[in-house]
Amino acid sequence: MVDPAKILSVEIYSDRIVTTLVMFSIFWAIVGMLAGVYVAAELVWPALNFDNPWISFGRLRTFHTNVVVFGFAVSALMGTAYYSVQRTCHVRLFAPNLAWFTCWAWQIAILLGGLSLLAGFNTSKEYAELEWPFDIAITIVWVCFGIVFFGTIAKRRIREIYISNWFYGALIIVIAMLHIVNNLALPVTLTKSYSLYAGAQDAIVQWWYGHNAVGFLLTGGFLGMMYYFLPKQAERPIWSYRLSIVAFWAFAYSYIWAGPHHLHFNAIPEWVQNLGVVMSLILLAPSWASMVNGIMTVSTAWEKLRTDPALKFIVLALAFYGLATFEGPMMAIKSVNVISHFTDWTIGHVHSGALGWNALITFGTFYFLVPRLVGAKLYSVRLANIHFWMALMGTILYVVAMWGAGVSQGVLWLSLDEIGELRYSFTDIMAAMNPYYLLRFVAGLIFLLGALLMGFNFSMTIIGRRTIAVRPPLVTEALA
Amino acid sequence: MSKKFSLFSVTRLLFDQDAVFNTLADIQLTPISVFLKIALWLGLLPPIFAYFGALEFGWRLGAIEPLYLSSDILLGVSVSYFFALLIGFISTAIVSQWMAGTYGARASLGVHFAFISVVGAPIALASVIHLYPNVFINILVFVLAILWSMFLLYRGLPIVLHTSPERGMLMASSLIGYFLVALVSLLGITVVIWSYGFGPSLGV
Repeated sequence: MVDPAKILSVEIYSDRIVTTLVMFSIFWAIVGMLAGVYVAAELVWPALNFDNPWISFGRLRTFHTNVVVFGFAVSALMGTAYYSVQRTCHVRLFAPNLAWFTCWAWQIAILLGGLSLLAGFNTSKEYAELEWPFDIAITIVWVCFGIVFFGTIAKRRIREIYISNWFYGALIIVIAMLHIVNNLALPVTLTKSYSLYAGAQDAIVQWWYGHNAVGFLLTGGFLGMMYYFLPKQAERPIWSYRLSIVAFWAFAYSYIWAGPHHLHFNAIPEWVQNLGVVMSLILLAPSWASMVNGIMTVSTAWEKLRTDPALKFIVLALAFYGLATFEGPMMAIKSVNVISHFTDWTIGHVHSGALGWNALITFGTFYFLVPRLVGAKLYSVRLANIHFWMALMGTILYVVAMWGAGVSQGVLWLSLDEIGELRYSFTDIMAAMNPYYLLRFVAGLIFLLGALLMGFNFSMTIIGRRTIAVRPPLVTEALA
Repeated sequence: MSKKFSLFSVTRLLFDQDAVFNTLADIQLTPISVFLKIALWLGLLPPIFAYFGALEFGWRLGAIEPLYLSSDILLGVSVSYFFALLIGFISTAIVSQWMAGTYGARASLGVHFAFISVVGAPIALASVIHLYPNVFINILVFVLAILWSMFLLYRGLPIVLHTSPERGMLMASSLIGYFLVALVSLLGITVVIWSYGFGPSLGV
């Protein structure tokens, strides 16, 4: 298709890339969540793997996490970063063709990477399972993402760099650093490599990566989304701009130290574990500062709720963000971790963040964004409202089921009898988890059906329409 | 319709919650009277049920044999449970009153005590399932009770606290955020107490 900017020979925002990334994000959300529901079903009915290694639990679970994090979440972050950086800089994207390259190359990497996981190629590093050719491809795309983003900031027409760009910028820089350092490896064949690190060092580097992938991608990146789209939807400036800046620097400084809490009671130095605990607890302050900022921004915009289904998702996302960022530091405390570690409580915690925070704020943002991108009304507000209640029910049910399973596992695994022997066998405990897994399967199914409703709603909104052309507004001298 | 609020009013939630909310919307209450007449009794239910249930049937965590604890330990656990609920209730009412300023709602602490009692009533009444402490069955019942409580919260807040439905929706969502944090804190505190050797015998 011919670029409308060339026909009009005026500067317009590069929004077709955004629409494409949003659609890919929804596609991956549905594929990834479907895989999640299927692996949840396999835990209840193990025969569902049909003795086919491609859909065995170990492979499909990795596929699920990679597709939702890198397919759904990163496509959403890339799309919203491209949308908001143009509008906060009042300028078209730097190097739009390179931006198109990042969009398509990323999707191809996810598709082939996902298939490679199903085929059994796996580095065995959590959230960094893809083998070395994919790591190199991801690095190239990510650097290009950075060039487009920071290039746009460099040619901005507004002097101030708005807070959302600081968070998106941190996402790009820190993820590049983590990804490259953690994936340094010696390739043996095209599909097999060995990490440069060994033993405890490998574990420390891995969880420095793993925890900060959660931190700078699933928290920081989405805070960037929140800081741009929440004030836009509420039609209010952010409640305290100063607090957002303080929260950003405190967040960037403290998050990077918290990784060792994933390795409590393991063969890493005690002081490293304790440092992880202390920094995890400190992390609560900047995390909640952003939550308070979001809640206070929306608190004066209540009349918008009458017409806007999107805002509800964001309000609820902030509540779950509050839960997840409190629960995380709490679980980092060693006397909690001794019982919660390796149990399904951890899975519940991850999903209170992933479903309650990441997915809900993305859905809210998309309900705002999609109609504006194509210049139409949302096909059905009613469907969006139904989706809201399904997402809320699914998340609560998921989290509560995993709390029950996790605490039960923690107690049963560690229970001693009168002579100090373990009271229960591991297999008995595993079998006893079946009802919780059934409940979790139902919860996931409800959440997935809600996402399908959203996909249908957006398809009907977009169908037969094109992304509209928007010109950057004029900038007054005082802001330039 | 009588404008009195008592423990009996709570039972009316079952068939006519709006009448209860309308009553609360029109009356003035003191925190002490609400606490002594209603909240205290509702708050006593879960620990009492939990004590007798665990004594009789043991904690049924899904494994083959239930986990029995001595009556002394159970008494300690139940008393701690009661105080945790007490702190949770009072702090929620105070947080609710504090939030009222932001959302243009009534600021009378007595009304917030009463409203939180009403919203928490389904959870307190559902604790009858503690008499049979099978964790999975308890979770199923409590999920339903929590959903009912959430319905009461969203529905009743604008009526009782005299604010618009939209601002009520925002305040209710903020309170859910606080509730979730309080709930997970209860879980965390419990686990810490266990890992320090009070409760089930664990090899930690």
